[in-house]
Amino acid sequence: MDATVGIPPAVTEETAAFWSAAREGRLVVERCTACGAESFPPRGMCRSCRARAMAPSEITGRGRIYSYTVNYQRWLPDLEVPYAIVLVEFPDHPGVRVVGRLRGCDPEAATIGMEVEVGFEPGPGGYAIPSFVAAEA
Amino acid sequence: MSSAVAERRAVISGVGQSAIGRQLDRSGFQLTLDAVLAAIADAGLTVDDVDGLAMFPGGGKANVPGYSGANLYEVQDALRIATTWKQGQVEGMSLPFYGPAQAVATGEARHVVVYRTVKEGSAARNAGGRPAYGAIHPDAEGPLAWLLPVGALSPVCQVAPYATRYMHEYGVTREQLGWIPVVQRAHAAGNPDAVYRDELTIDDYLAARMISSPICLFDCDVPVDGSTAIVVSAADTAPDLRAPVRIEAMAGVVDGRPSWEQWEDMGRVGYATAVAMWNRTDLRPGDVDVAQLYDGFTIEAVWWLEALGFCGTGEAGAFVDGGTRIALDGQLPLNTWGGQLSGGRLHAAFGHTAEAVRQLRGEAGARQVRDAEVAVVSNVGGFEAGAALLTR
Repeated sequence: MDATVGIPPAVTEETAAFWSAAREGRLVVERCTACGAESFPPRGMCRSCRARAMAPSEITGRGRIYSYTVNYQRWLPDLEVPYAIVLVEFPDHPGVRVVGRLRGCDPEAATIGMEVEVGFEPGPGGYAIPSFVAAEA
Repeated sequence: MSSAVAERRAVISGVGQSAIGRQLDRSGFQLTLDAVLAAIADAGLTVDDVDGLAMFPGGGKANVPGYSGANLYEVQDALRIATTWKQGQVEGMSLPFYGPAQAVATGEARHVVVYRTVKEGSAARNAGGRPAYGAIHPDAEGPLAWLLPVGALSPVCQVAPYATRYMHEYGVTREQLGWIPVVQRAHAAGNPDAVYRDELTIDDYLAARMISSPICLFDCDVPVDGSTAIVVSAADTAPDLRAPVRIEAMAGVVDGRPSWEQWEDMGRVGYATAVAMWNRTDLRPGDVDVAQLYDGFTIEAVWWLEALGFCGTGEAGAFVDGGTRIALDGQLPLNTWGGQLSGGRLHAAFGHTAEAVRQLRGEAGARQVRDAEVAVVSNVGGFEAGAALLTR
C-alpha cells in the first residue's frame, strides 16, 4: 500500500508510545494504574481521577463509527480523493474516540454505527496512521 | 442584576472596516490602519483617546497563510499611542470584545481598540486553492497531530462530522439547511462590501460540489482580505461617544472536551454558553430582533439557533426551511450582512459584531432590520464559544 499524502505528526513525550505502536499495527491508549480508566489522546494524566501514573493499554476489539465525513477536496498536491474520515468509539472502552481513515468499503458506504476493526496504513513521514477496516457483518 | 454584570459598564463605541475583497493589493498592515482609524472616528474619538489595544490572533500560531494580518507592536508603533492595557487574544477567545469589555469595566483602560485582519483570500490565490491547515509547518503539532496525518486537512473536515451526526440524530436534511446560505446571500445583495452578492438558489446549493460531506461549497465561508476594528469604551464615557451600543450580557463557557474531534455530543454545541448568557439578563429569545451567528460553516449557525433557544434541539431544519423566518422581515433576521458565507471570512465574529452595531444604530442601509433594538452575536461553538446580547 502506498503511503497516504499528508502532514506527519509532531511526536512528543506523551504521544511517542501511540505512534510507535501504530507502526506495529497496534492501537494504544493510556490506562490509569490507579483507577483503571482509559484516556485518549495521551496526556500523562488520567481524565477520570487525575492520577499521573499512566500505562499503555492496547485496544483490540471492534469499534463503532460515531460520526464521519467523506472528503472530496484535494487539499494537497497528489492527495487521492475521495476518502472517508471516521471517528470511532469502542463499546468496551468508554472515553476513547480515535480519528482515522476507513477502508474495506466504498468511502460513501460509511454510516454512523457501522462496526470497524482496528487497523493502520502507511501515512505521511513514514508514520502509520489509524485506518479502520469495515467489519464483516 | 445590573450591578453584578460587569459588561454593563462597557459599551461598543465604534466599528470600522477596511476594503474587503477576495484579493486586495494592499498589505494587511495598511488594511488594519484603515480599519482602526475608521473605528476610532466612528466612535467619535481621536487616536489619542485610545489607551488599550488588542488583536486576534495574538501569540497564537497561524496554521494557514494569511491568517494573521498585522502585528500588535507595529500597530501600536504606527498609531503612536501609550497603552495601559493590551492583549494578544490567543486561541480560546470567546468574543472579540470580551477581554476589552472586562478591561474597561475594571478601569484598566477607557477606550480599547481590538482588530482582526485577514489576508486569506490572497493566500488562497497564491496557493492555487484554499490551503491545507498546517501546510506551512513541517509537521502537525498539538491537537492537529490527531487530525492532519489522517487526512482531516482542513477545518471543513473537522467540522463536517458534527453536521453528519446532527443530521443523523435529528433527521435534518440539506434541503432544509441550504436555506441558511441562500437567505444570507439575499442579505448580502444589500451589503455593498459583501464579496458574493449574486442570487443563490436552493437548486444552486444542492448542485454545488461536495467538499467534505455533508458540507458543500456554499456551506463554507469565503477566504478574503480585509480588516475589522472595534472600539470598546467604558460606559461612563458615553457623553463623549457618537453612538454607543450597550453590552447587555456576554458569556463564553466551555463545558466539554476542548477539541474538534473529542467534543462529546456533536449534535449539541454552544448550550452552556447560551445558558450562561441568558442567566445574565432579563431579556429572552423572543426579545431578539436580529441575529449575527457565527457561520464559518452553515452548521455553526445551526448550533447557535438551537443553543440560544430560537428553536428547539433538532428543530433548526424546520425553523429555516423556506427561509421566511430568517429573512430581513422575518421573526429572526439572520446574518444580515451575508455572514461569512457571502460577506467574507472576517473571522472570529468581528464581521458579525460590526453588523450588529450597525443594525442597532439604524446604519445598515438597504439591509436594515426595522426597529432593531436587541441583537445577538455569537462566535464559533463548542470548545471556543462566545455569545452576547447587544442593545441600543
